[in-house]
Amino acid sequence: MKINRIVLSLVFLVSGFMIAFSYQLTKEDTSEIQMTDSEWERTVKLRNELIQMEKKNRKLQNELFQKQDELIKIENEFSKGEKKLVNYAKEAEELRKALGHVKVKGEGLIVTLDDGTYRPEEGNINQFIVHEHHVLKVVNELYISGAESVAINGKRLHAQSYIVCNGPVITVDGVQFPAPFEISAIGDKETLEKAITLKGGVRDQLIQDNVVVKIEKSDDIIMEPVVKSG
Amino acid sequence: MMWLPVLGLIIGVTLGLLTEIDVPHEYRNYLSIAVLAALDTFIGGIRAQLQNVFDEKIFVSGFFFNMILAASLAFIGVHLGVDLYLAAVFAFGVRLFQNIAVIRRVLITRWDQARKNRKETEK
Repeated sequence: MKINRIVLSLVFLVSGFMIAFSYQLTKEDTSEIQMTDSEWERTVKLRNELIQMEKKNRKLQNELFQKQDELIKIENEFSKGEKKLVNYAKEAEELRKALGHVKVKGEGLIVTLDDGTYRPEEGNINQFIVHEHHVLKVVNELYISGAESVAINGKRLHAQSYIVCNGPVITVDGVQFPAPFEISAIGDKETLEKAITLKGGVRDQLIQDNVVVKIEKSDDIIMEPVVKSG
Repeated sequence: MMWLPVLGLIIGVTLGLLTEIDVPHEYRNYLSIAVLAALDTFIGGIRAQLQNVFDEKIFVSGFFFNMILAASLAFIGVHLGVDLYLAAVFAFGVRLFQNIAVIRRVLITRWDQARKNRKETEK
């Protein structure tokens, strides 16, 4: 009987342990469940909010990418515009040079025209002096051959320049110059020289007209800008 | 001599409350089934005692055997994909109620008997 009591107490112990253990586990469980229950709606709400936020985020991200693309496009256009601008600036520079508004410096050619020695037996004295058309011929030839700017005796020519024969002197833009006339041109010196010394070209014609022509190449010609009058 | 099982019960309850072992969720079913089996055996034991057919061997063997059987039934059920533990719960639950009903009836008849006896003695 005593052993049976011990066995019985063992049974009680086991069952008590199991019931208590199960109770404890279930309590934990239910407490957990209760917690999630009370938090469930909140969790769902927060999750939904998060999802919405992420959606919004993605949308914004896409928008950002689009904007960046646009920006790149705009920048490309801008750089194109800048290139154009550079071209325009170059053109403006060229035009300014042509107008004589800027100082020009560079290699070029200097053509000096002088009156021929007068030989009375050969005719009129007019045939031995340099005329404005000689100068014009040279100037035109130089311009045609690509001279950037031309000056006569240091007087820079521009778009509205005029050259007038005025007896023994030539008037360039209102300034009188006697012979010799030094016509300097800035440009590719080789080309300019070839243009002037072309066979049957300007030099030959001038020599035929008893004009003394001297051609020299220079590496460093400086032309001051035209001072605008009035 | 009755204090020993009571002591065992108290020790068991305290141990159960103090254990911090965490049983995985899928094994909780077995535990509850085992608890149900233990309860059933208890009530059955009380009924048998009241009906004077109590046998300790049957009680103790039934206690452990039922527990293990119920747990293994639940285990097999989980692995077969059939909710066999429901069968155990059902069977034990029905038996639990039946046993409790028997206990109640026995107690009531005893009480009635006692009152009748008292009245008879008074007369």
